Amino acid sequence: MKQRTSIIGGFAAIAATFVVFVIPFLFIILMAFKDRQQSALRDFSWPNGFHLFDNIFEVVKTRNWMMITAFINSTLITVVSVTLLIVFAAMVGFVLARRKTRFNGLIEFLILAGLMIPPAVVPTIWLLQGLKLFGTLHGMILIEVAYNLPFSIILYRAFIATIPRELDEAAVIDGARPLDVFFRIVLPLLWPVTVTNIVVQSVGIFNDFTNPLYYLPGNGNATVQLTLYNFQSQFSTAYNLLFTNILLITIPPLIVFLFFNRQIVAGMTAGAVKG
Amino acid sequence: MTKTKLFALMGASTLGLMMASHAVQAQQSGYLSFLIDNGPQSVAVAEAWVAAYTEANPDVTIDIEVRPGGGEGDNIVKTRLATGAMADVFFYNSGSLFQALNPTQNLLPLTDAPFQANVQDSFKSVVSAGGEVYGAPFAPAMGGGIFYNIPLYAELGLEVPKTWDEFMANNEKIKAAGKVAVIQTYGESWTSQLFVLADFFNVLAEVPDFAEKFTANEAKFATTPAAVRGFEKLQAVFEAGYLNEDFGAATYPDGLRMVATGEGAHYPMLTFGVGAIAETIPDHLQDVGFFAQPGDDAAKNGLTTWMPDSIYAAKTTSSPDLAKDFIGFIASPEGCDIRNEAVGATGPYMIAGCELPADVPPAVSDMLPYFAEGGQNAPALEFLSPVKGPALEQITVEVGSGIRPAAEGAALYDEDVRKQAQQLGLEGW
Repeated sequence: MKQRTSIIGGFAAIAATFVVFVIPFLFIILMAFKDRQQSALRDFSWPNGFHLFDNIFEVVKTRNWMMITAFINSTLITVVSVTLLIVFAAMVGFVLARRKTRFNGLIEFLILAGLMIPPAVVPTIWLLQGLKLFGTLHGMILIEVAYNLPFSIILYRAFIATIPRELDEAAVIDGARPLDVFFRIVLPLLWPVTVTNIVVQSVGIFNDFTNPLYYLPGNGNATVQLTLYNFQSQFSTAYNLLFTNILLITIPPLIVFLFFNRQIVAGMTAGAVKG
Repeated sequence: MTKTKLFALMGASTLGLMMASHAVQAQQSGYLSFLIDNGPQSVAVAEAWVAAYTEANPDVTIDIEVRPGGGEGDNIVKTRLATGAMADVFFYNSGSLFQALNPTQNLLPLTDAPFQANVQDSFKSVVSAGGEVYGAPFAPAMGGGIFYNIPLYAELGLEVPKTWDEFMANNEKIKAAGKVAVIQTYGESWTSQLFVLADFFNVLAEVPDFAEKFTANEAKFATTPAAVRGFEKLQAVFEAGYLNEDFGAATYPDGLRMVATGEGAHYPMLTFGVGAIAETIPDHLQDVGFFAQPGDDAAKNGLTTWMPDSIYAAKTTSSPDLAKDFIGFIASPEGCDIRNEAVGATGPYMIAGCELPADVPPAVSDMLPYFAEGGQNAPALEFLSPVKGPALEQITVEVGSGIRPAAEGAALYDEDVRKQAQQLGLEGW
C-alpha cells in the first residue's frame, strides 16, 4: 500500500516536472523549426517544413554576425566576473567570520544595504564616465561584481562559520602565511558553497539583460540576451527567429550544466552531509 | 562610446569639417553613430539609407545601433541624453513624447537646415520647441481608422461605411454570416485605444476648438457629447457581441493576421500595420483595405492622422554638420525613394517632392483620398494638445470589455488627464 502511494507520488512529480520544464523547452524547439508565417500563430503544432538551419543561419548572421560578438562578450563577462566574485566574496566572508572587531556590525549593515538598495542608472553611468569605464567590457564586469557581491558574501560568511578555527591554527603552526591559509586551506574547504555561487551567479550574469542594456551601449558590446532584441520589437516580432535565438543562447549554459552535473551535485551534497 | 574614441572622432570630424569648408559641395567625411529602434522596418530602412549615403560619401562611416521600442526604449533614450552618451543621430517619437526629451537642452536645432524648406509645416509643428525645429520626418504619415477584409466585403456584398450606423449594420450582417465582425486585441492594451483616438476627427467636426479648450481645462471628455462617442462606440461593439471570442488575450499580430486572412472583418488600427502585414502575411496584403472611423454624419467623413516619428541630432554630437547633412539626405526625395524601395510605402510623405510608387497596397491607396485635394483629415489629439493621460489604454480595455460603462470611462479619463496636466504645469488645472 505504502509502496503504491510512493509510486503514484513519483509519477506525479515526474509529470509535474515534464509540464513545467520540458514542455516549454519543446515549444522553443518546435518554434525554431517553423517558418515566419506558421510561427506567428504561436501554437503547439508540428512544423510545416524543416526551417531550422535557415533560421540558425539567419539568426547568426543578422546585424553583421552580432551573435558571435555577443557570445564572446557574454562569456568573457560571465567568466571574469564570477571568478572575481568568488575570490573577493570568499575573502570578505573569511575575514568577517574570523576576525571580530567593533566594525563588523557596520560592515554587515553595508553588505545588507548593497543587497537591498536598488542601484540608480544615471549616477552609475556618470561615475563610470568619470572613471573612463563607460561602455567598456571591464566596466561592465566591475558592475556585475559590485551588484552581486553582497549576496555571495552572505553565502560564504555563513558557511565559513562552520569550518573549525583549529584548522587555520594548525596551518599557521605548520608555518603557513596568511595568504596560504586562505588559498590552500580555507578556499578548498569552501568548495560546496563555491559551486553554489558559480551556478547561481553565472546563470544570473549570463542571463543579465537590463544592466548591459544601459551600461554597455554599442554594437561591438552586445551580449547574448541583447541579441533577442534583433527579432522582437514593439509592433512586430519574428517568432521563428526569436525562438531560434533563445535556443542558441540556452544551449551553452545547458551543456556546461550537463558537463559539471556530477560535480555540482557532489558539491552540494558534501555541504549537506557536513552540516 | 568611450571618451578616448570620442576624442579621436572629434579630431577626425574637425579634419573633415576643415576639408568640407574649403570646397562647397564637397563630399562629407567623418563618423556618425545612428540609434534606431529595433522594428524590422526601421532596421531595414536605416541600413538602406546608410548604404546609399556612404556610397555617395565614401569617407563617411555610419554605425547603426539598435535599441528596443516602447517604455524600455524611452528609458534608454532619456538615459543616454542625460548622460551625454547619445548617438549623433537618433530616431524617436514626435509630438508629446518629443517634448518630454527636453529638446532645447538636449537636441541640436535644425531650423536653418536647407532641407526644412521641403518639410510640411504640420510636421514641423510637432517637432518644435522654444521656436526651433529639431526633427525631420523618419516615415510617412499614418492614419488611424479601421482595416477591413476586402474579400469578405465582396462576398457579403457590403459597402465601405460612411456613418457609424452603416458600420454597425455591416457588422450585423457579418455576424449573421457567422464571422467575427470586429477584432479587438486587448492582450496588448495599447491596441484598445484606437476607437477613442481615431474618433477625434469626428470630435473636431462637431467641436472645432475642442483641443484648445481641452488643454485649457475648459472642455472635458465626459461632458462633451461628441467626445464621449468614442467610448460609446467601444462599448457598443462589445455589447452587440461583435468581438472575437479571445479579444481579451489576443495580441496585435493576431489582430493583423485575422483581418488579413478573413477570420475577422474589421480591425481598428493605425495604418502602419500595413508594414507588418507585408512582412508576416505577404500573400494577403492585397486583401486588406482601410477606411476612416465613421462618424454620425456621412457628409463629415474624414481621417484622424498621426504624424510620423522623427530623426533628431543630439546636441552632444561631435560632427553637427555631418549629422545635418545625413538628416537632410533622409528627408530628401531621394531618401523617400530609398524608403519605398526598402520597406514599401505605408502612407503619404510629409516632404515636398516625395512620390509614392504606383503599386501601393490597397490599405495605403484607400488612405490617400483623405490627404488629397477635397479630402478631409485632422491630426490626432496628441498632436494638438500636450495632455494625454497615461492610463487611457487601461480605461479603454475596461470599457471595451464591458467592465465599465462609456460615460464612466470618459469621466475616469478626465481624472487621469488632470494628473498629467498638473505635472506639465499647464494653466487652469
